[in-house]
Formats: sequence, C-alpha cells, structure tokens
Amino acid sequence: MALAYPLTMPALARTPIRGNMPLRRPSYSARRLRESVTLGSLGNDTGNSGESTLRALLERCAQGDRQAFRTLYDMQAPRMHGLAMRITRDTALAADATHDAFIQVWRQSVRFDPERGAAGAWLTSIVRYRALDIARRRIREKPGYEPPEQEDESPDALSQMISSTEGAALHRCLDQLEPDRRKLILRAYADGLSHSELSESMGTPLGTIKSWIRRALIALKECLSP
Amino acid sequence: MSGVAEEDDLRAAEYVLGTLDESERATVARRAETDDVLNSAIAAWEIRLSPLAVLVSPVTPPPELWRRIEQSLGAPVVAEARRPARRSFWESLGFWRGVSGAGFALAAALAVLVLLRPVPPTGPSANLPSASAVLAASPGGPPAYLAEADTNGRLTLHPLTHVAVASDRDLELWALPVGGTKPQSLGVLRAAGGVATLPQATQAGMQLMVSLEPRGGSPTGAPTGPVLFAGRLARL
Repeated sequence: MALAYPLTMPALARTPIRGNMPLRRPSYSARRLRESVTLGSLGNDTGNSGESTLRALLERCAQGDRQAFRTLYDMQAPRMHGLAMRITRDTALAADATHDAFIQVWRQSVRFDPERGAAGAWLTSIVRYRALDIARRRIREKPGYEPPEQEDESPDALSQMISSTEGAALHRCLDQLEPDRRKLILRAYADGLSHSELSESMGTPLGTIKSWIRRALIALKECLSP
Repeated sequence: MSGVAEEDDLRAAEYVLGTLDESERATVARRAETDDVLNSAIAAWEIRLSPLAVLVSPVTPPPELWRRIEQSLGAPVVAEARRPARRSFWESLGFWRGVSGAGFALAAALAVLVLLRPVPPTGPSANLPSASAVLAASPGGPPAYLAEADTNGRLTLHPLTHVAVASDRDLELWALPVGGTKPQSLGVLRAAGGVATLPQATQAGMQLMVSLEPRGGSPTGAPTGPVLFAGRLARL
C-alpha cells in the first residue's frame, strides 16, 4: 500500500524561525525565512563576542539540552528581564513576559537558524514582543493607566552602543537625526511606548509623531545601508 | 521600492520599534505568518535596531523565576536524568497554565490537541472497531503500532514493539485525511498507547503518522521532526 505522505520530512526539521513569530497556528506549509535579509554588516560576530556562544547554546537547546538552557538563562535572563521591566514597568508583568519568552526560546530553539547569526537579536525580539503584547493588553484592560515619566537616555548609555560594530553604526546614524526625532526612537524602543502614548507624553499631535517616526526610520535605514 | 512595499517596510519597522497599538501589532504578526516579504522586512529591522537594547539596564529576575520556567517545561533537569520513563503529556500542562500572556494563541493551539487518555477498561458498552491501521516504518515493514477506530471516531493505539525515544524527545500522533495536506495532531504518545478522537467522517483511507518531536510535542502544530511510522486506516 503506497502512502501519499513521505515517511520523512527532513525539510521541516530545521525551519528558521524568528522572534517575531507568535506561537503559530497549525500550518503545514513550513515557511523558510527569505535569504534576502542583509546580514553582511549587521549580523556578524565582530565586536559581539557573546553571539557565537549564544548560537552554540541555542543549538544545544534545540537538541533538548536543559543544562545549556540553564546556562543561556543565566547569561541572558538579566538582560531580557531588564527589557521586560522597562516596557511593562511592573514586576509581576515583567516576570510573566520573561517567563513566556524563555518558554518560547526553549520550544522554538529547534527552529533558530544558526546560519542567520543573530541570536542576540532573536532573543531580544522574543522578550520585547512578549512585553509589548502584555503592556498593550494592560492599556485595554486599564484604560486610565498612566506610564511613569522616564528619564532621557544618558550619554553614558548611548556610548555603550559603540562597543559593537553594529551598535557603532547605529549610533552614528542616530547622531545624524534631529534631537527630537532621536529621542522619539530611543523612547519608543526602550520604553515600548505606542504612537499615542508618545504623542501624549511629548505633547505633540499624533499625526506629527507618526510621521516623525517614519521619517526617522527611513533615515536610519538609508544611513545603515552599505 | 514600490509604494506598497515601502508601506510594508515601514509597518515592519514600526512593529519592531514597538509603537503600534494592540490590534495593529496583532495584524502585522498575523500577516507575517504568510507574507514572506513582510517577514523578511521584520527580520531585517530586528537586526538593525537590536543594538538599542544595550540602552536598557539589566535587571536580575526574581529568584523563583527559573523554577517557574522549569515547572512550565515539565520535570526539572535533575529529576529527569533519573527517570527511566518518559514524562506523560499531562505533566506539561503546567506549561499551558504557566504561559499567562499567550492565552489566546495557546487556546488556539490547544484546540487542535486532543490529549491521549489511558485506554479505559473494555466493557460491554465498548464499541467494536470499525477500521484499523498498522503503523510501520516502511509500507509492509515490521508493525510498530496497531490503531483501531470505532464508529464514534475513537481511536485506540496499541504499541506492538517498544519504541525507544531520547529523553528530550516525544512521539506525536497525527491524522491526515484523504486528500488533505495538513496533518492534525491527535496528541503526544505515551509508551502504553492511548485513546484519541479522530476527526469524524473522514476515517476510511485516513493516514496516521507518528513523528519525532521535541519534548511536549510539536511547538508549531505541524510535524517538525521525521515521520517514523505511518499507516492507513482501512475499514474492517
């Protein structure tokens, strides 16, 4: 009796997956990440010594190695929890976000493609998206919630970006933005503020905020392209 | 770059930056599941903007967080090494409870998972099997499981050999209807076999498959590992 279905599906075994992917609905057409993402100057290892370690650990997680997962947690939990704390501004919600993110890392490590070489960015995205989803849900459930005022980024924090090649390039490009636009990008990324929250907190009309952010993003992309 | 492509690229950028509201975020995430161009744009923006993460100071998570993560994933590492038997699927239910935020996504994922229950004692009310399948590593090869479906769509799986699986893997049972392309998960297998409910009305000719998955089953809702055994349901 011939089977309509092949007995092995090696093509499905290691499909790259990224941080932005939620737990996916069942879909049998496993989709591969396009090769078109420019990694040349952005995702390489130079100046980012943790990257190859993270990749190796994720690969071991994919093989079911809990010890590697623990090591990855010890290495990355403070960084990831910091991102979650900053966005949710709530100890319990941040713990939920970090918890969910690590569960997702363990379960999806099998889909992380080490060739892509951006393990740090992958982990960052997973926890930020989780924290953003949680923060947005709180806005819906508690409409009156006011986020506490945040300090501007200190020049010290900004200068830390220079420690990696990619960070230095981004730092240089941010420097070319007008101070107001730069501040918008930094607050949006670090604090996870929505367009309307940024508009309220800066006292600037929503439409203006949206177009400033878009123009800043276009300028950054242009500045970063080789 | 065309207007539409540029609009998508900016949407991807806003998604990664984090300025979209709840429904806008959900829309982009949903579209990225099937739109490769949008998906790649998001990946590129993630890499572009990721150096900004150093602006945020690390915060040591509460000490109990690791334990909570371990509980959600199942048995802790130490206990696992001593356990000869594989973890039952029920233990991983902690995961479903623990993932507080992903509620609706998980509910959707859970909806397609029919947990395998232990085989109930056969009584006079038990239905007679109406269809059966032998699952083997190759057509006509040595049988690994016997599957019996009754008229109520209940499927009982009897292991015929001992199938050894690494402690970090689980076997998952799938059903592929005639003419279908998307196998549906019937649950994670236990060594003792179990009972699953089949999608009704599509029994005869339906293909059953057992795939090798990460512990707790496929994270995607579709088989991710090799299909080790397969067979087709035939009417008795």
